[in-house]
Amino acid sequence: MTDIRVLLVDDEPDIREIVDVSLGLDPDLKVRACASGADALVTAAQWSPSIILLDVMMPLMDGPTTLANLRKNPQTAQIPVVFLTARTQSDEIAQYISLGAQGVLSKPFDPMTLAASVRNYLPPSAGHHAA
Amino acid sequence: MSTKSIKTILLIEDNPGDVRLLREMFDDYGAHDIEMTQVDCMRAAEEYLAENTVDVILLDPGLPDARGLAAIRRIHAAAPRVALVVLTALDDESLAEQALQEGAQDYLVKGQIDGRGILRAVRYATERKRLERLKDEFVSTVSHELRTPLTSISGSLGLLMGKAAGNLPKSMARLLAIANTNSQRLVRLVDDILDIEKMEAGRVVFNFRRVEVRPLVVQAIEANRGFAEGYGVRIRLEEERGTAAVRADPDRLLQVVTNLLSNAIKFSPANNEVVVAIAKEADVIRIAVRDHGPGIPVDFRPLIFQKFAQADAGDARQKGGTGLGLSIVKQIVDRLSGEVSFSDAPGGGTIFHVLLPCWDHVANLAIDRDSKPDATRLLLCEDDLDTALTLREQLRQVGFATDFAYSVGEAVARAMATHYYAILVDIHLRDGDGVSLIVRLRALPQYRDTSIIVVSGDPSCGRDDLRSSKLNILDWLNKPVDFDRLVRLLAKPVAQDANRRPRILHVDEDDNVARALSEIGDVVTVNSIEAAQRALMAGDFDLAVLDVALAKGAGPDLLPELRDSKGNVIPVVVFSPKGANLAADAKVQAAVAELHTSIDSLVATVRDRLASRKNGVLREVV
Repeated sequence: MTDIRVLLVDDEPDIREIVDVSLGLDPDLKVRACASGADALVTAAQWSPSIILLDVMMPLMDGPTTLANLRKNPQTAQIPVVFLTARTQSDEIAQYISLGAQGVLSKPFDPMTLAASVRNYLPPSAGHHAA
Repeated sequence: MSTKSIKTILLIEDNPGDVRLLREMFDDYGAHDIEMTQVDCMRAAEEYLAENTVDVILLDPGLPDARGLAAIRRIHAAAPRVALVVLTALDDESLAEQALQEGAQDYLVKGQIDGRGILRAVRYATERKRLERLKDEFVSTVSHELRTPLTSISGSLGLLMGKAAGNLPKSMARLLAIANTNSQRLVRLVDDILDIEKMEAGRVVFNFRRVEVRPLVVQAIEANRGFAEGYGVRIRLEEERGTAAVRADPDRLLQVVTNLLSNAIKFSPANNEVVVAIAKEADVIRIAVRDHGPGIPVDFRPLIFQKFAQADAGDARQKGGTGLGLSIVKQIVDRLSGEVSFSDAPGGGTIFHVLLPCWDHVANLAIDRDSKPDATRLLLCEDDLDTALTLREQLRQVGFATDFAYSVGEAVARAMATHYYAILVDIHLRDGDGVSLIVRLRALPQYRDTSIIVVSGDPSCGRDDLRSSKLNILDWLNKPVDFDRLVRLLAKPVAQDANRRPRILHVDEDDNVARALSEIGDVVTVNSIEAAQRALMAGDFDLAVLDVALAKGAGPDLLPELRDSKGNVIPVVVFSPKGANLAADAKVQAAVAELHTSIDSLVATVRDRLASRKNGVLREVV
């Protein structure tokens, strides 16, 4: 397995598409997108992504709850999670990190550099596979 | 009166009498259905709020473990979403104002308001808090709601610009660029609005440290290079010699330089350059950003740092300005103890100047080298340089040398390196709080008994406040400092406090006990609790000795009420010559320091208690 699997969770179809295209600029990244936290839990367990990009504000199950549920399942507990969110006040960022997120990427993002930003949050081993 | 919206109140009050009074008041006005929980210290309040939620908090900020604005801040931090009403005996308008700024909804003075008034205030406070929450949520939601579509717009445009623009006809590529630039501008506008809202609310914390200016300016230039290219503008950094470091918050300084750069870029004609210069002057570092734009119209000059100020609204809009950039610059530079100004550039254009205190200058100033070498040396822990310099100048006139410490760490290091005659502490050091500094100083054996005077812009922690805590603070001076009073305090022999004979209040009629006690200290003998309270109001005592019969008669509630004129609870030793058994009365047991049945053991205990009272500071803090 040399590719890097990125699971994107966002309820906005437009944003899913743009993230998909943006990450697609990096040929090593394989992207799957989920529209809800519940879908994400299933997909994460089955597909074992290298990293999860998680929206914060989603109906039914929001980002922090999704993260908590991912951590509860041994199959998904170790997957790095990065919030991709428009809520990036410093206290909000501190809160996401305290929930166990690896990092926070802010919306709007620069589509041309998003892939590089995501790679920054990968554990070293994932980077080696890709290189 | 309708109090239906309020179901639960947390009352934080350590005076049992006030608690009782408040409960009675609430009952009198038909607020039986309000469930009121009472705690008597900050720790208990914080523990309660961690587990429970209430509709409103009533706080008397004179608690044994937290006082004044610090108490208000802690409660606000523990329950930021709950309405907070301050209920205090201290009638102080400026404290009231600061309490509201710290997040309280109202400030009520005991004795000035009846039960009906308190209930009404509580209800209004809850409503104001609800509206405040709505506003915060609104700002946060708007920012989120704007950013979500903006993410799609700027993302799509960014991808098109990055991948497809080269293949488009020139006119279409130009339209695409316009859309892209403007979506970026909207993003900045949303950021700026949030920023300025936070800055004005005082919610931005500054972390001061030594900052090398040049690398920071280079970083800002790099970040703006793409933006400049969009306008056909080059950015050039003039070479300078030597290093230049300032005392600043690097993130905020970066924001200042970035805003000035983007401003200069926007107002530069194409094919021109923006020139950044860094210059070290006597005590300051000057960062100058020069553009070759049209200059600032004369009648607009006084308005330039105001919010949403635009020289020519149409023009500014064409330039992609938000009208907030310079206002943010001004607010930040003010907080950095600097100055921002502008001037006409020779040959056209404008230069913006930012002057910041030079690090070497600030560091050099810390040691007072100008006073006489044999002058008595003081340490002033103060992070506002101007305040510190003014005080040093005044103190020099009366023969003191004053060293500065700008942070808690610096203060401890300096105090360990030099023995200071007295230490002045600003309670609001930006990178740590004064109280914890005093705790650390008192833990050093050489500063156990040194005079420590608090200098504070926060009048809440006035005379009754910190002095009554265990840190043995000599006095609390509000800013601006009453200099005569400070000099009087400093003139007192330092050891006086530690070596004076203890004053003992003896509440009994037994002359033998009085004689025995007079060997230890100055004894005032009275024969009733009432007389004892009068004596306490007239003078300060270190300890009270109480006959068991009187102790029982006083009732368990009164015992803890034996306080000196500063409001400190004084230790009570109960003497029981007939060996009466007090153990059954648990409340009395809890209130008294110790129970004694022989004069010898009483005298020994009194000695012990007085000694431990003097050294109590150390035991408390270690």
